[in-house]
Amino acid sequence: MKDRSTITENHYVLVRLPSAGMKVVELRKGGNIALGKFGAFNVDDVLGYTYGQSFEIIDNDKLRPIKSLSEEVEMKEESSEDVEAEGDEEIIKDRLIKMLSNSSENNQNIINIGSKIQKLTNEEIDELKKSGATSNIGQLIIQKMIEGHEGFDKKTIFSQQKYLKRKQEKFLRRFTIDYLGSSQMLQYYLEKDSSKLLDMSEETLGSLMTYSNVKPGGKYLLIDETGGVILYSMLERMNCEGTVVLIHENEHANYSALKHSNLSDDLIRSKVKMINWLQILEPENEKIDFQSFSEAELNEMKAPKRSQYYRRQKRANDINEVIEMVQQGNFDAFISITTLDPTTYLPFVIPKVGGSRPITVYSQFKETLLQTQHFLSSDKRILAPSIFETRVRPYQTIPGRIHPLMTMRGYGGYIMVGTRVFPKESVQAVGRGMGRRKTPKKDESSMEPEDSQRGETPYVPEDSQKEDTSFVPEDSMELEK
Amino acid sequence: MSFFSYKDVIEEGDLVLAFISRTDTKPITVTKGQILNTRFGHFKHEDMVGLKYGEQMEGAKGYGFIHLLHPTPELWTLSLPHRTQIVYTHDSAYIMQRLNVISGTRVIEAGTGSASFTHSFARTVGAAGRVFTYEFHEPRYIEAKKELEEHGLTTNTLITHRDVCEGGFEIANIPANFVSKNGGIDADMVFLDLPSPWTAITQLDSVMSKTSKVGVCCFSPCIEQVQKTVEALQEHGWINIELVEVSGRRWEARKDMIRDMGDVVKRLKDIQSRRGKGIETRKRGYLANGKRQLEEETDDSDSGVNKLPNTGKGFNPFGRGERVKEGDANYTWRNVTKVESEIKTHTSYLTFAIRLPC
Repeated sequence: MKDRSTITENHYVLVRLPSAGMKVVELRKGGNIALGKFGAFNVDDVLGYTYGQSFEIIDNDKLRPIKSLSEEVEMKEESSEDVEAEGDEEIIKDRLIKMLSNSSENNQNIINIGSKIQKLTNEEIDELKKSGATSNIGQLIIQKMIEGHEGFDKKTIFSQQKYLKRKQEKFLRRFTIDYLGSSQMLQYYLEKDSSKLLDMSEETLGSLMTYSNVKPGGKYLLIDETGGVILYSMLERMNCEGTVVLIHENEHANYSALKHSNLSDDLIRSKVKMINWLQILEPENEKIDFQSFSEAELNEMKAPKRSQYYRRQKRANDINEVIEMVQQGNFDAFISITTLDPTTYLPFVIPKVGGSRPITVYSQFKETLLQTQHFLSSDKRILAPSIFETRVRPYQTIPGRIHPLMTMRGYGGYIMVGTRVFPKESVQAVGRGMGRRKTPKKDESSMEPEDSQRGETPYVPEDSQKEDTSFVPEDSMELEK
Repeated sequence: MSFFSYKDVIEEGDLVLAFISRTDTKPITVTKGQILNTRFGHFKHEDMVGLKYGEQMEGAKGYGFIHLLHPTPELWTLSLPHRTQIVYTHDSAYIMQRLNVISGTRVIEAGTGSASFTHSFARTVGAAGRVFTYEFHEPRYIEAKKELEEHGLTTNTLITHRDVCEGGFEIANIPANFVSKNGGIDADMVFLDLPSPWTAITQLDSVMSKTSKVGVCCFSPCIEQVQKTVEALQEHGWINIELVEVSGRRWEARKDMIRDMGDVVKRLKDIQSRRGKGIETRKRGYLANGKRQLEEETDDSDSGVNKLPNTGKGFNPFGRGERVKEGDANYTWRNVTKVESEIKTHTSYLTFAIRLPC
């Protein structure tokens, strides 16, 4: 598979900026990539480094690898030969360190006078910015800002460091090149437009992949309304071994995110099969009855017509193949990320899932999954459906000053997980009506949620004892034609 | 190989997870002559042979049932014999996603503990990846080793009995199929679930990838441990150090009765009118006979007993005093979600960092 270690030409990568902004770019050899106010860099200068490497733009077309985006100024660095007109970089840094050494124990002496505390004017900063888009200029601006900040020495050392970090994010010309994995792809789209991903968080994506038991060699049925981010995540975990059947509701499936995946079109075509809902619901109608021509007839055809024939033949074969694959069923998981109502499509996909395999449904709203779980509670083909929520709380990670951040992203979504099972007709639950002495617990069958041991009556749908629906032949699940 | 790929039909010798209830899943190895006893009846192993995975199985006495499930690392996590505190799925799923553990990843895990996360790692890295797991507690090591062998995971997982804080991670005789093409262990992901990860961090240099970014996650319950870990990571050239906490919740769909205040008023009026009727009846009884007596007999067997007439149950809109099943069609309900009765507020702090090859 593709190289996940080394920054390689012609790959799409994620560029992280000090402002926490992100960009997806293709590294074309000889190319130049513009990062807006952070400057620009030549692709050739980053090739061969390992993914995760950070760089500083020293001159418009010169880079220097640095330890990290947030590398602090007091860190020791190999001295650079690039000397700016304003003075040696090391000297600037020394001065910064001296400034930081003069700090206060607490914020007792800080008086808030707003922006007046900064003697450096915006005009002066703009003037400095114009003198070049390099990191040295950035550092000079920061230095001047600190010098011009009347209350700087009254700040605590922690507050000074925070101030410095903020200014670095704003003025330093730094960036990191990251491998574009599924997490990075997700972060990128989340930042761009989280509604495109139906607000799914990284932790929820992780849960989705784990609970769906995605692994190499599996055969999965997927609805992915995120433009292919989930599909990419699955292919990543599958190492492109196995098959994903992607259900869509249009003429063509949208998996535009895969164009940044560095996976070849051929590979994608061989691993990802598309099918639309009509083809699932009316398979026999939708299969293509392809009229084969004989060798002799083909030889008589003109070349363009012949190639058109082969194209049509291939298309028919592809469509018939995926329809048959879904008819056969026995998928290793069904995974759904869609705004379609789950209660309307689940009856058609449950029979397609193999025994003891997971069914996972994502929604940005718990209420959607609530209705779905109620809907499934009378369906004995799905065992123990549950709604899971995972949230990751980030902390400020400075030794001596560790605490949760004040805010975090609120959205993240929910997943409902259940297991496809084959109910047996004529099974009698242990419970009421059987004589209580046989059962230690009064009214509990093993089908019911376990909550009764906590003194609550589990919700038993009134029709849960209705006839078993699991062995309904597949055809009867199809719509009337 | 059952953790690596699904089977459809149960055979003798298979590991089957018998789902008894949401909180009770029993791992069994299907063995002729053995019987699984549960509070819902008993189940003969030999009757399981030939059944499909996922099939519901009837008790030997014709009542009670279980579901026969295929093992997955997540189900195993719920059913495994706990030898230590385990890493729960909310945490493990996030750690693997964030550190990009996928097919082909080379993982170091210390310590093995109950080997729950080891199962997840082994499944996710697949045949192309490798898991190097270390356990310093000998009985736990022996148990885990046996389990990994029985579960067919030793094809990509190597367990070593070692205190990594003392002895480091290097393995003298790595089996040839565990040696990286770059030589040695060559890990690109490290998971440290140890009492003092900061002493293990110093030992990692020789076993980490020299060609790619390495991610680490330290799993510690106490903030004091985190503090020391962060300092050690900074000292040893790790960057992007970030601490997070994962919280997981399980919600259940329930029904909550809609109790209309208008019905309360109707009921109060009903009580009032019935009380009025009762007083009326009693008065008439007294008037007729000069003593407390029923105006009319309601039941032959009750004759002569002082009793008010049975005027029916009255208006009872919320089923008071009756056993009402959630969702009973005679009442109105709204769909609600209810969180677990006990939630995990803190599993551990997760300290993440990355390191680039020098």
